[in-house]
Amino acid sequence: MNQTLLFLIPLLPLACAVLNMLFGMRLPRLVAETLAVSGVAASFLLTLLFWGYADGAGTHALLGTWLPVGDITIPFALHFDALAAPMTLMVTGVATLIHLYAVGYMHDEEDYARFFGLLNLFVFAMLAIVLADNLLVLFLGWEGVGLCSYALIGFWYQKSENARAGTKAFLVTRVGDIFLAAALLWLFALTGTLEIAAINARAASFAPEVLTALTVLLLLGACGKSAQLPLMTWLADAMAGPTPVSALIHAATMVTAGVYLLCRLFPLVSLSPDGMAAIAVVGALTALYAATCALAQREIKRVLAYSTMSQVGYMFLAVGAGSVAGAMFHLLTHAFFKAALFMAAGCIIHLAGGENDILRMGGLFKRGPRELFWVFLAGALCLAGAPLTGGFFSKDGILLAVYTQGTPLFLALWGIGLLTALLTAVYTFRLVYLVFAGEPRGHGHPHDLPLLMRRPLWPLALLGLCGGLLNLPPLVGGHEWLTHRLGTLAGREILAGHSIEWALAGLATGLVILGWGFARWRYGQFRGEQENRASRFLLLGWRADALVDLLFVRPFTAMAGLCAIGCDRALVDATLDGLARQTTACGERLRGLTTGRVSTYLAGFVWGFLIILGWFLLALVK
Amino acid sequence: MNTAPSIPGLWCHDMIGSVVFYLLAAATLTATLLCITRTSPVHAVIYLVHAFFDLALIFYLFGAPLVAAWEMIIYAGAIMVLFLFIIMMLELSPGGKPLTVDRRRWIPVLILSLVTLGCTVLLIIQDPSSAGSGTAYHASPRDFGTALFDHYALAVQVVSFQLLFAAVGAYYVGKGEPRKRGEQPS
Amino acid sequence: MIVPFAHVLIFAAILFTMGLGCVLARRNLIMILIGVEIMLNAAAVALVGGSAYWRQVDGQVFVVFLMAMTSAEVAISLAMVVYLRRRRGTLEADRFDGLRG
Repeated sequence: MNQTLLFLIPLLPLACAVLNMLFGMRLPRLVAETLAVSGVAASFLLTLLFWGYADGAGTHALLGTWLPVGDITIPFALHFDALAAPMTLMVTGVATLIHLYAVGYMHDEEDYARFFGLLNLFVFAMLAIVLADNLLVLFLGWEGVGLCSYALIGFWYQKSENARAGTKAFLVTRVGDIFLAAALLWLFALTGTLEIAAINARAASFAPEVLTALTVLLLLGACGKSAQLPLMTWLADAMAGPTPVSALIHAATMVTAGVYLLCRLFPLVSLSPDGMAAIAVVGALTALYAATCALAQREIKRVLAYSTMSQVGYMFLAVGAGSVAGAMFHLLTHAFFKAALFMAAGCIIHLAGGENDILRMGGLFKRGPRELFWVFLAGALCLAGAPLTGGFFSKDGILLAVYTQGTPLFLALWGIGLLTALLTAVYTFRLVYLVFAGEPRGHGHPHDLPLLMRRPLWPLALLGLCGGLLNLPPLVGGHEWLTHRLGTLAGREILAGHSIEWALAGLATGLVILGWGFARWRYGQFRGEQENRASRFLLLGWRADALVDLLFVRPFTAMAGLCAIGCDRALVDATLDGLARQTTACGERLRGLTTGRVSTYLAGFVWGFLIILGWFLLALVK
Repeated sequence: MNTAPSIPGLWCHDMIGSVVFYLLAAATLTATLLCITRTSPVHAVIYLVHAFFDLALIFYLFGAPLVAAWEMIIYAGAIMVLFLFIIMMLELSPGGKPLTVDRRRWIPVLILSLVTLGCTVLLIIQDPSSAGSGTAYHASPRDFGTALFDHYALAVQVVSFQLLFAAVGAYYVGKGEPRKRGEQPS
Repeated sequence: MIVPFAHVLIFAAILFTMGLGCVLARRNLIMILIGVEIMLNAAAVALVGGSAYWRQVDGQVFVVFLMAMTSAEVAISLAMVVYLRRRRGTLEADRFDGLRG
C-alpha cells in the first residue's frame, strides 16, 4: 500500500467538512449527517488498517511542499508512529461515537450543516496536530482547533453569553498560542528546521538555559489549549456550547493537545530538569485547583469541566515526572470515560427538561432509564479511580511515577496528587448522588431520548472500564502493552518495588472509599446546600475571572480609554475639530460679505476697478 | 478712406468747433448730473434725452454724422422712449418722496467716484499721445458702410443674432406666468 | 480734430463716473439702468473721439455695435423690470437678496 494514503486519515474529515459547509443546507438532512459521521468513521477504520505502519520508528508520508522559501522548505508531511497511532485511533474512534451522538442530540437544530461541518473540521485540525511531522503543520492544526472551538462554543450565538464564552475561549487560548509561536520561532532560529524529529535529535546541543526557556514557552502554549493554570478560565465557560462539542473538546481533542505537544517534544523537554519540575508543578496545582472548584459547582457540565481540568493536570504531572507512557495512558482512558460522562450528562439534561442545576435534579435512578445510570456510574467510577477501572490504573501509574522521582518537590506533588484523588472521589460521588439518588426535585418535563443518544454511550463506558488493559502493570499480571508499544518514546522507566506498588494501590483504594463514604454521608439524603463564602469562592473558580479582570482587562481598558480620550479625542479630534471650527468661523465672517444685494456686488466691482487703475498708475510712476 | 475733407458748413473753423465742443460738453455734464439726481424717473429720462442730444452734436463735431444720427434715433428716440413707456406702464410715482440727501449713501459713492475719476484723468494726462489734437476727420457714410459690412460683416451677423435673442428673451420674460388655478388675478 | 484728445477723454471719464455714481448710489432699478446707459455713452464718446484722433473708421463701427448691444440689454433688462415689478411689487434693488449667503 502507498504510504501517502495515510493522508486520507486527516483529509477525509476535512473533505466532509468542506462538503457540509458548502452544500450541507442543500443536501437532505440525512445525507449531511451521514457524510459527517462517515468521514470520521472512515478515518477511524483507515487508522486501524494502517496500524502496522506505526511499528518501529513509524512511517513518514509526504504529500507535497507547502512553503518553499529560499533553502527552507516546509512540507506537508505526516509522521505516523507509536505515539501518534494510539492517539489517532482514540481521536477518530471517540469522535465517531460523538458524531453519532450529535446526530441524535441535534435532531431539532436548524443549522445542522454548520454544526457538522465545524465538528468535522475540528477533528481534522486535531488530527493535524497528532500526525504533524513538523511544528508548522502542528501549529496549523493548533490554530484550527482554536478556531473551531471558538465557533462551536459560540454555536448558539444568538444568546450573547454563548458568543462571549466562545470569544473568551478563543482569546485565552490565543495567549497560549503566542507563547507556542514564540517557541516555534526560537526553535527555528536555533536549528533552521521545524521538523519534530530533527529538533528532538538536536535538542541535546542547546544551552541549558535555552532549554529551560523553551520548555517554559512550550508549557505556556500547552497550558492555553489544555486549560492549565494560569490560562484555565475559559474551560468552564466553554460549557455554553452544545453537549457533543463539550464532549469533543474535553475528551478527544482540544484539551489533550497540550499534553500531546509535550509528549511529542519530550526528548527536548526532558533535557531541562527545571522545565520538567515546572510542568509537574503546573499540573499538580491545576489538578488540586480544579478539584476544589468542582466540589462546589452546581451545573452538571461545569463539574465535569473542572474534573477534566483536574485530570489533564494529572497528565501534565505525569509528563513532568518523566512518564510519557503514564500521560498517554491516562489521556486515553480519560478520553473514553470523560466522553461517556459528558454524553450521559447531555442525556441527563435532556431528561431533566433542559435543567442544568444538579441541586434541582435527583431521583433519576427511579425515573429515568436504568442504562443511563449504569453508564454514568461506570464513567464516575473511572473518574474517581475505583479499583480495577481504567482510571484507577492510569492514575495509579502517574502517582507511582511521581513518587519514584523521590525528590522532596515531587514528594510534595505526590501528596497533592493524593489529596486531589480524594477530592475527585468526593465530587464525583456527590454528582452521582445528587443526580440519581432520592426523589425528583426538578419540575422540567423530560424530553424523550433518541436511540442515537443512548447507544454510543455503551462502548465508551466499556472502554473506560476496561481501559486498564491497555497498560496493565506487571503487578497484576499485565505486561504494559502501551509502554512497550511506545518503546523509546515512553520516557523514563519506572522502577519500584512490588511492595511500594501494592501500598500505593491500597492507598488509592482507601482514598476512593473514603471519598465515597463522605459523599454518601453528606449527599446520600438531599439536605439542601446552603451557600457560604467558601463555596461561593469555589463556585466562581477561586475568583480567577475577577483576578484576570483586575490584572489585565481593567488596566488594558484603562489604557485604551486613555488612548481614546486622552490621545484621540483630546489631541487628534480636538485639533481637527478646532481647525474645522476656525474654518467655519472664517466662513461665517466672510458670509456677511455676500448680502445678496446688487449694490454690494457693484461696489466690489468698483473697488476692483480701482485697484486695476492703481496698478496702472504705479506702473506709470515707475 | 481717410482723405480729410473739411467739415462742411458753419463748423469748419477749428476755433469755433472747439468752443462749441466745450459748451456741449458742459451742457451734457449738467444734464447728466441733473438726470442722476432726480427723484422722479420721468424727469431723469427727460434730462438724459437732453444729454443725448448734446452728445449727438459732439459726435457730429467729431466727424461721425452717422453715429450722431443713430444716437438720436436709437438712443434718444427708441431706448429712452422705451424707458418712458415702461415707467408709465408701471405707474411709478412721479413725485413720491423727495430725494433725501442720504449721506451714508452718497458720500462714499462720491468719494469713490472722484477717486476713480482722478485716477483716470491722471492716466490720460500722463499719456503723451493724448496731448495732440490732429487735423479734423470726417468719415463718409460710404467709408463707414464699407468698414461695417465688409471688414466687420461677421460681427454684424453676431450682433443681429444677439438682438434676436434679446427680443425672444424679452418676450419670454415679459409674457408673465400662466395664471394658476384658484389664484386671484392681480 | 478740433480739441486735444485728452479733453475728449476726460469728458468721457467724467460722464462715465457720473453714470457709475448713479449706478452705485441709486436703489431704483430704473435709475440703475439709466446709470448704465450713461456709462455706455461715455464709452461711445471715447470711441468716437479715438476714431477722429487716429482717423480710423473702426471706432465709429464699434459705436454701432455698442448701440446694438445696448438695445439688446435694455430690452432684456426692461422686461426683467416688468417681471420683477409684477412678481415682487417693488423696484428697490436692495429688496432682491435671494443670493444672500
